[in-house]
Amino acid sequence: MSALAHLYLPGALTLWCALAFGLASLWGYTQLARGDESARTFARRAYTFFAIAIALSAVVMAILLARRDFRIDYVFSYSGTDLPFHYQLAAFWAGQKGSFLIWLLFGALIGIPLIRTTGRQEAPVMGIYTLAQLGILFILVRESPFLMLDHAPIEGQGLNPLLQDDWMVIHPPIMFVGYALSVVPFAFAMSALLVRDTKEWAARAFPWALAGFLVLGSAILMGGYWAYKTLGWGGYWGWDPVENASLIPWLLGTALVHGLYLERTRGRFRRANFVLASLVFLAVLYGTFLTRSGVLADFSVHSFVDLGISGWLVAGMAFFFGMSVWLIGTRLRGVPTEVNEDPLLSRGTFLVLGSIALLTTTAVVTLGTSAPLLTRFLENPGQVGPEFYNRVNFPLALGIAVLLSLVPFLTWRGETTPRQLLRKMAPGLIVGFLAAAFAAGLGVHDPFHLALVMLAGTAIATNIQKTVAKARAGGLAAAGGYLAHVGVGIILLGFLASSAYDQSVKVTLVQGEPANVGAATLTFQRFLPREGKLKERAEVLVEQANGRSYTAYPQIFLNERTRQLMVHPHIRSFLLADYYLSPLEFDPGQPEQAVAQLALEKDQVQRLADLDVRFLGFDTGREGGAMAQMASGGPVTIAALLEVTHEGETSRLEALYRFRRDGEVEFPPVDLPGGGQVALGGIDATAGAVRLLFAGVEGTAQPARLSLDVTRKPLIQLVWGGFYVILAGGLLAIAARARQVRLLGRLPERAG
Amino acid sequence: MRRRAWYLFGALLLAGFAGFSFASFRSNLTPYVSYAEAQRAERTVQVAGALEPGSAAYDSVGTALLFTLRDPESSATLRVRYQGLKPANFEEAISIVAIGRYDAASAQFEAGKLLVKCPSKYQGSEVKEYGS
Repeated sequence: MSALAHLYLPGALTLWCALAFGLASLWGYTQLARGDESARTFARRAYTFFAIAIALSAVVMAILLARRDFRIDYVFSYSGTDLPFHYQLAAFWAGQKGSFLIWLLFGALIGIPLIRTTGRQEAPVMGIYTLAQLGILFILVRESPFLMLDHAPIEGQGLNPLLQDDWMVIHPPIMFVGYALSVVPFAFAMSALLVRDTKEWAARAFPWALAGFLVLGSAILMGGYWAYKTLGWGGYWGWDPVENASLIPWLLGTALVHGLYLERTRGRFRRANFVLASLVFLAVLYGTFLTRSGVLADFSVHSFVDLGISGWLVAGMAFFFGMSVWLIGTRLRGVPTEVNEDPLLSRGTFLVLGSIALLTTTAVVTLGTSAPLLTRFLENPGQVGPEFYNRVNFPLALGIAVLLSLVPFLTWRGETTPRQLLRKMAPGLIVGFLAAAFAAGLGVHDPFHLALVMLAGTAIATNIQKTVAKARAGGLAAAGGYLAHVGVGIILLGFLASSAYDQSVKVTLVQGEPANVGAATLTFQRFLPREGKLKERAEVLVEQANGRSYTAYPQIFLNERTRQLMVHPHIRSFLLADYYLSPLEFDPGQPEQAVAQLALEKDQVQRLADLDVRFLGFDTGREGGAMAQMASGGPVTIAALLEVTHEGETSRLEALYRFRRDGEVEFPPVDLPGGGQVALGGIDATAGAVRLLFAGVEGTAQPARLSLDVTRKPLIQLVWGGFYVILAGGLLAIAARARQVRLLGRLPERAG
Repeated sequence: MRRRAWYLFGALLLAGFAGFSFASFRSNLTPYVSYAEAQRAERTVQVAGALEPGSAAYDSVGTALLFTLRDPESSATLRVRYQGLKPANFEEAISIVAIGRYDAASAQFEAGKLLVKCPSKYQGSEVKEYGS
């Protein structure tokens, strides 16, 4: 086997062992499912060994990266001796293979605590769960991350400079924890259908679904924060296919969390939850396929090339899709459905409506993201831009805000009459109207935007009211949902303000010259060289309208390895807005020139220092014209007519070019207004152009220039703040739901 | 009866929204087209090509970037005008995608957005987006 020689054996061995243990565990759980109780211990042990083997292979990879062992293709491709230690770690998930390995690592580790929560359905749940892990492992065994080069380079190719950021050290692993968690509700749902025991799965899957929702949400937000803080594109969300690929499972996960809540408390939504649980996992697979198969290479900012795994991804997707379609198609009818129909103004109905709104959002985001794939079959493949997403999601945001403001005062049985509801909501509505009036005062005039401010304000107020009421009654643990809804209201306001009301201008600042940008005055003071860890950066003095000032240091530097120009914005956060300076271009300028040149075509104007020079044309009639001059045997003189404007005064000059009979040429200099001289240095007769030489013109020095994107992002703090509130609410909910799982009963006794 | 009316209302609302989304999708879709098609198209499209060396310059006012794209396959060329500053690594780009529409009067493609794809040895060549 020649392939063996190209693999780093300790790493490859761990993967092969993992494969063997994984298959053994799968076999053990199959036996257990058939009623062979003695297989339980075997299956569990095999799973534990599987997880240990995966963990070891990750450790091997980490050691190879830490030792900078460039014999390994992956280490060579993504790291270099110049990387600090924590970026060396980020190289782990900089490539496709490494990111599959980290995904598998989290998946394998999550399986260990998962065993303890599976209850009666340990065999099918763990079987399906292990199957999903094995799917990733197959890809890794085929496309091994432990491939070796036949030589040992002394230096690696380095890490993509965009990934050299602290947020990139933690954002991808958290994203993969979220992806790994998405398998859990899927495994619970499918095994419930498989063994036709659909009573407990919702309760057992609920905390896992909540955890997946929170972790994936955190990862998405971190990615947005990284884009905002590091990339200097001025935004946190670009509706890029890769971003959407993580958003779609999160939206579905949010719908699932609400569906499971409904099932747990009212016994409704039982059938829909099976579909939701499988959609979350299938969406993760679909997103992985979209972003890693290369189908979007021409459309995405984070494009990936095809690694030759598209076929495997499609096969995996088809397998799990087939499994869900088969199980849902054949077994769903057997699931008891709700008979009680809730009244319209009840919490149950509103939860259903909320889920429908979330699913609608998912549908439009999926439609937009799949545009390149869908239109591929038409004449020309195309894509849709952020305008599409912003436009179609706006009415949905309004709808969600309406639901959120009403939900706290609705009961399950729907006893609240519209009149009572209105009375209870009065304080919230007043807050909403005040918020809208305040926004209108600040210059928000779009009626739809005002409506969103009003509704989101109401939603925040009513949900705070309910959270406080719950906490007073000693049931803060049950207030998680309401608290999360407060966060959603806040984040909706943040989205609106920071996306629809940001003001962005591109300016070019001349060194030392103050320029008015909006209400502030910006002065580019100097460009600072690299000092130790600090990169090349511009020093810009920002004087605000209120008289205060600060110095900003937006960075613009060349990555030595890739020769790529990198920028790093400077962000100054104020209470009501972020002031965002992102460098676009830096021109170091040039010192004073003794002699300057201009090439001019007829009627063209160019500027040199404080002169505007226009070439009007040749004076062909001079001394009877060139032909007459030549005929007379004297020197031939060509005159160029110039129009020179200096400090508003325009004068005409004639610059001469003379061919003497002895073959010499002469071009006598002519005095310029404002000092200095100009001479006709050359003629291009066919193009009708002249080359002018200038001497002694003062002010030819070009000062350094810095081009900046200056953006004011109002209320962007609400996006981050709203997220923290959602996170707090979600954690409360997890705690509450996990307690319920523990109450379901202990683990079955270990078999002898 | 009342319930059925609400269901109908909900279905209509969803249908209306589906129509609205589909219309937005159609109008926002920017297809990849050839230069000849771009000159005929009456909508926002995207064109891709390689930068003609030495063709990039700012206009006389200095606010717009003018450059020529060449289709590597048909070697057709297209003059592009982009209202904005020259993106980083512009000259080194292996491929530039311009999103906008063709202006017959000036015989230029008016780009509102540029995607610059830089050569990269990394998996996934670097693509950056400019403009809005």
